[in-house]
Amino acid sequence: MATVQLESVSKSYGNGPLAVDSVDLSIADGEFMVLLGPSGCGKSTTLRMIAGIESITSGQLSIDGRVVNNVPARDRDIAMVFQSYALYPHMTVADNLAFGLRRRSVPKPEIARRVREVSDLLGLAPYLARKPSALSGGQRQRVALGRAMVREPQVFLFDEPLSNLDAALRVNTRNELIRQHHRLGSTMIYVTHDQVEAMTMGNRVCVMNAGRVVQIGSPLEVYWNPADTFVARFLGSPPMNLLELPASTATSGTGDWCRASNENATVPLTLWHPATLAPYAGKQMIIGVRAEDLRLGPPAETTSTGRLGWLHGRIDAIEPLGAETLVLVSANGTEVTARLGRDVSARVGEAVTLSFDAAAVHLFDPVTTKAIARER
Amino acid sequence: MVSRALGRGGLMAILVAYTAFAGFPFLWVGTMSLRTTTEIAYNHYGWPSPAHWAKFRAAWIDSAFNTYFTNSATVVIGSVAVITLVGAAAAHCLARYRFRGNRLVYFILFSSIILPPQIVLIAVYQTLVEYNLYDTLWGLGLVYVSLQLPLTIYLLEGFFARIPQDLFDAAKVDGYGDFEIFFRLVLPVGMPAIATTVILNFILLWNEFLFAVVLISDDELRTLPVGIQRFMGDHFQDIGMIATGVMISVLPVIVVYAFFSEKLIQGMTAGAVK
Repeated sequence: MATVQLESVSKSYGNGPLAVDSVDLSIADGEFMVLLGPSGCGKSTTLRMIAGIESITSGQLSIDGRVVNNVPARDRDIAMVFQSYALYPHMTVADNLAFGLRRRSVPKPEIARRVREVSDLLGLAPYLARKPSALSGGQRQRVALGRAMVREPQVFLFDEPLSNLDAALRVNTRNELIRQHHRLGSTMIYVTHDQVEAMTMGNRVCVMNAGRVVQIGSPLEVYWNPADTFVARFLGSPPMNLLELPASTATSGTGDWCRASNENATVPLTLWHPATLAPYAGKQMIIGVRAEDLRLGPPAETTSTGRLGWLHGRIDAIEPLGAETLVLVSANGTEVTARLGRDVSARVGEAVTLSFDAAAVHLFDPVTTKAIARER
Repeated sequence: MVSRALGRGGLMAILVAYTAFAGFPFLWVGTMSLRTTTEIAYNHYGWPSPAHWAKFRAAWIDSAFNTYFTNSATVVIGSVAVITLVGAAAAHCLARYRFRGNRLVYFILFSSIILPPQIVLIAVYQTLVEYNLYDTLWGLGLVYVSLQLPLTIYLLEGFFARIPQDLFDAAKVDGYGDFEIFFRLVLPVGMPAIATTVILNFILLWNEFLFAVVLISDDELRTLPVGIQRFMGDHFQDIGMIATGVMISVLPVIVVYAFFSEKLIQGMTAGAVK
């Protein structure tokens, strides 16, 4: 077990742009850290730099306090599970598991013991004499995981290991990985573009975009307090609804408060001090509301209290998913998705009002797209 | 059902016809190798009766085929071993490592494949004479290596480039260095392609005549194809002994093919490395 520390780590290929741009990341001993982001965001490159199979252009990488920038992969005491599993096709399952141990001159009886232990644990015992080509996708995945586990490394690295599995197997293997993390207590770094994996597996999630770290935090923290519109849209299915509305100040019996509104929508901004939003008066603000925070029907209380927001629109599509229904509403040219209960009586083409609580509102700077922190 | 049976029957007929087409000349030479030239002249296609097995002994000992065979085996096995090892290493290098001039080297190698070897015959002869390698098996072996290396690298590079990069990365993470990866991963995984080049090079060099006849003049150093030519005179050709010599020379090719054929078929049908 070990800590992993990245300080301003960057990577570029030739004279091209930075594939990874000044990543600062500190992973604690025994932590399960998920690197999450879209394709090409630099998460796999970051992982490969930690593994030692990609050189570091600038910055410093330490494993357990030791700077390893120029230490070859074999001396870093890490194990990696690849998206393609990368099993050696000419070797049996047993040889695949033992390959790394043989190189490290582990005594033969010890190799046999570890291979047996891991194969029993992962249910691979019946397949030890088979070649990878004679295994199913799930079995290959377990061999790849076993090959990493048998080494008993300081740090486990996973590069989208579940993306080649079908949906059911993916859920099983995901749970298996979580169990193994609890059992081993090792430091694990897991790269994925799948937000469900990120939400369910990680102690913390590091969201990356265009080579940079956008936000680091616990899965729920990142989900409920996205740092910018990219994180807001990337995490959550359906993604957070974003509306552009002009901000203004209103006065009621409770004093001054802000809102963003036009003829089709009113969003109370009661979680921010009017003074904070004063510079934005009259400007288009980006308002975010999660689909599950929207309700069908006009607000029960008037908006003048500043507690409920609403928007008018017309239903474009209804997607019944069994346990819930997604309703797509077109509000003045903007698509908004509401996640509603399973019994929705509305029809496509119908004019509807969606309402939401002021506490569900997220506010983003229209220029930087960064979140404006809530103050109440 | 009927059309399927007809299809299978048609395919079988084509296979039988092709087997006969390929097998008949071999059978014919086989029968002639056990008959005397006089018998062959009397009846070209007759069955050996009696079979003159002593002809093999005569060719092997009296006509020095044992020497030719040893020379051929030495120079061809040595050349094929060097071609395979150096070719595989070069192909792995070109397929896997990014370095300046990688594609230039590849282009030069590729260009030399299209160049007819006869063009360089005189230059090669002069060079060997300069370096005192003319009329030596070392010299002939070197020429064979240089003749077959570009094609070997070209064939292997195509196969090695398809080995997924993840396998190399996994081996690195497992603790293996570049040379160990080459010997413990590239060579075994690339075995179907390597077997293909071994067979190809072995057959080509075993039958090679032009360079062998030009670069070797000492009778003690002659290879099999040149040795067989000794049975051809200006006015008379000893067809019976030529057939016996051909049978002696063709046997190793059959053995090599039988040994590597399974890998060869794998190599020809390999769509992807999984």
